[in-house]
Amino acid sequence: MNGWIGKYLRVNLTTRKITTEVLDPRLARDYIGARGLGTRFMFNEVDPKVDPLSVANKLIFAPGPFSGTYAPSAGRYDVVTKGPLNGTIAASNSGGSFGPELKYAGYDMVILEGKAAKPVYLWIHNDKVEIRDAGHLWGKIVPDATDALHAETDEEAKVACIGPAGERQVLFACIMNEMHRAAGRSGVGAVMGSKNLKALAVVGTGAVTVADKDAFKAAVMKARKMIQDHPVGGTGLRVYGTDVLANILNQIGAMPTKNYQDGYFPTTNNIGGESLTAKILERPKGCFSCIISCGRTSRVTNPKFAGRGEGPEYESAWAFGPDCGVDNLDAVTKANYYCNEYGMDTITMGSTIACAMELYEKGLIGLKETGGIPLDFGNAEAVVEMVRLTGIGEGFGKKLALGSYRLAESYGHPELSMTVKKQEMPAYDPRGVQGIGLNYATGNRGGCHVRGYTISAEVLGVPVKLDKDTTDGKAQLDITFQNLTAALDSSGACLFTTFGIGGDELTSMLSSLTGVTYTADEFMKCGDRIYNLERLWNLKAGLSSKDDTLPERLLKEPIKSGPSKGSISKLPQMLPEYYQLRGWDKNGVPTDKKLKELNLTEQG
Amino acid sequence: MVRDATGKSEEEWNAPAATLGVLVRDLIARYGVNLQKWVMEKGEMNGLSIILVNGRDARHTGLLETPLKPDDTVVIFPPLAGG
Amino acid sequence: MGKILMIHPDKCTGCHNCELSCSMTHEGSFRNRAARVNVYTWERDGFSVPMMCQHCDNAPCVSVCTPGAMHRDAATGWVLWDQAKCIGCKMCVQACPFGNAVYDSLTGKILKCDYCNGNPECAVFCPNHALEWVEDTVSTRSRKKVYAAKFKEAFTEVGS
Repeated sequence: MNGWIGKYLRVNLTTRKITTEVLDPRLARDYIGARGLGTRFMFNEVDPKVDPLSVANKLIFAPGPFSGTYAPSAGRYDVVTKGPLNGTIAASNSGGSFGPELKYAGYDMVILEGKAAKPVYLWIHNDKVEIRDAGHLWGKIVPDATDALHAETDEEAKVACIGPAGERQVLFACIMNEMHRAAGRSGVGAVMGSKNLKALAVVGTGAVTVADKDAFKAAVMKARKMIQDHPVGGTGLRVYGTDVLANILNQIGAMPTKNYQDGYFPTTNNIGGESLTAKILERPKGCFSCIISCGRTSRVTNPKFAGRGEGPEYESAWAFGPDCGVDNLDAVTKANYYCNEYGMDTITMGSTIACAMELYEKGLIGLKETGGIPLDFGNAEAVVEMVRLTGIGEGFGKKLALGSYRLAESYGHPELSMTVKKQEMPAYDPRGVQGIGLNYATGNRGGCHVRGYTISAEVLGVPVKLDKDTTDGKAQLDITFQNLTAALDSSGACLFTTFGIGGDELTSMLSSLTGVTYTADEFMKCGDRIYNLERLWNLKAGLSSKDDTLPERLLKEPIKSGPSKGSISKLPQMLPEYYQLRGWDKNGVPTDKKLKELNLTEQG
Repeated sequence: MVRDATGKSEEEWNAPAATLGVLVRDLIARYGVNLQKWVMEKGEMNGLSIILVNGRDARHTGLLETPLKPDDTVVIFPPLAGG
Repeated sequence: MGKILMIHPDKCTGCHNCELSCSMTHEGSFRNRAARVNVYTWERDGFSVPMMCQHCDNAPCVSVCTPGAMHRDAATGWVLWDQAKCIGCKMCVQACPFGNAVYDSLTGKILKCDYCNGNPECAVFCPNHALEWVEDTVSTRSRKKVYAAKFKEAFTEVGS
């Protein structure tokens, strides 16, 4: 095969049996790879009702056909599993170099099953695969574990590992690769910890081949130029990073503030991308094959919050910043570094602290619960300390480790958790931007912006500018973004390539690479198929249309201040049309007609 | 980038401007082509920058015809994005 | 006037595009271990450095090569490898002090940068201008000028 390798690894951690299996080209063609392929295998092999932290769950690492080639900014991979935080199918996407290395080692996927009796790691050196003891690595933070693994496997190994948070099965623990990149959301790291699996270390010396080399090179050069000529992909992200969004979201009044109590935070500029670049940025960083380099290699010299690493991204700066009422860049960055070291999702971590802050503000918890730390909105030191306590599993950190839904529910107020399907919403207030609210409500893993990043159109004007406050056309907008994204994620490409190219350029590259002809329509159809498969999984797991909603606050309480003052989310006006355009019945269930159209069957 | 062109992150503009178009024209007269390239092309907004008038995107308030009052806040953002 | 491949590690973002284009150009596939340029990243410091053959004067690899497979091209001055003459003794691999000659066990070839016939693909592909194919005098002058400017800033701040 070209693009794809044509085989994958299956490792049973209980029996220690390791097998290599052949990838069915039909599955590759219909589900592309990464998110799509991983989801298909999860659907075929795992009962959606399993306890995510039980031995019956599986954990799949899967790059896409682009990963390992010079398709621009297209070296990504997904971790696919059932998410412990949200109970949904969870595909968590990450960059770095891990995905390409798996391809060079000779695999399109690694499927991990069962549970090791004691902590282990997986060492993959081309076709030599070993399960090795990891007792001496258990307890190490991510950078230390990564260095230790380099020393005992290979200096150039690519390492994906969990930190202490994953080991303790914090419900939003993540998987880090190359020390600073995260498969962040839904608690995929907790699943890894529940299997007693500390890390995967990979060295690959093989090749990814191309069907039509000249056509691929031409398509790649064209795509590169379009991304480089685009002001966002070509300049904006490199100079300021994703955190450049902070000021614009605030200036349109859609900056979720103090646990979504408001939509405007006056001192946002202090934690925005411009401030980051001026104060703590050392240089930009790029993932494998990336031409954008939105990564931020940064350092905080303030002794109170000293550290170095990568970030913060916009979501992280928001979660520890305005959502907690904090405007201290050094503190926000330190909180971000702690999350990378302990291996935790920054969005859920920050939003959970914000929820705790509102519980504290309302007197529902006090100093007794917080271990003497005043959890007032705006207390930067408290935010950093709460992250650290969650990472090491002490004090109030043990409760924060549950995520905001279970935290708020335990004190009798689940409505104060800003989540959809128990996963925290990110940094865009749906009252200020209508279409993203529909995406939060209908996204297959709960509160999530990347499932259908309508912010592109509603705020940034890419590919066209739509009015953020209207509901007309938003159902179709969401569906188009969601379908394209599902296919794009599955190819190994980075979402940020869409600042520059679209379906035509992606399929031009994909077809010449693999030798399988995809039209832009067929690519979208793959995305639609993958999206519907995820929906079917979730329905079988016990979710229903009543979970396609937003917190009451966003439907009933208007934004209090700023440019979007007075707005609420008009989700009920958009949801019925969304179901209808999706080809689902009024209960949000895909119809037989829709499934037939997508050639989507139970057996795959 | 807009900041580099003007040398400022914000300023109070005291000359009268009945519409956004008048304000932009006057700003370009002051700050020159380095500002202009982010905002205008052939007499129209080029869509590279995001221009907000009191928090509303000018593309929905009438583009350059957007009326302005003396206390209005206009924000010009260079091309950017995130996640 | 000759050209050299200037490396600017401070601009390298660790994206490996150079390795990908080199591998595709020379091997016809993406096998980054076979690239003639290799990027090393120190993740704790967030610093990356691309490394390739520097086409030395009095190149040690040329001195040790008995069949003359490693040789200096008279026209360009580049150090090139002639596969037809190579006996696979790997003395060049031992001799290069920078480790820029590598033996590829898959193909039996010596992997060493050959400047792609005068248009290095890595420099074309690098999105960060971390690799530049430049006239040797211009390139050294531009780096000098960048540092001269830092002196100027320091003196202007303190002196006046």
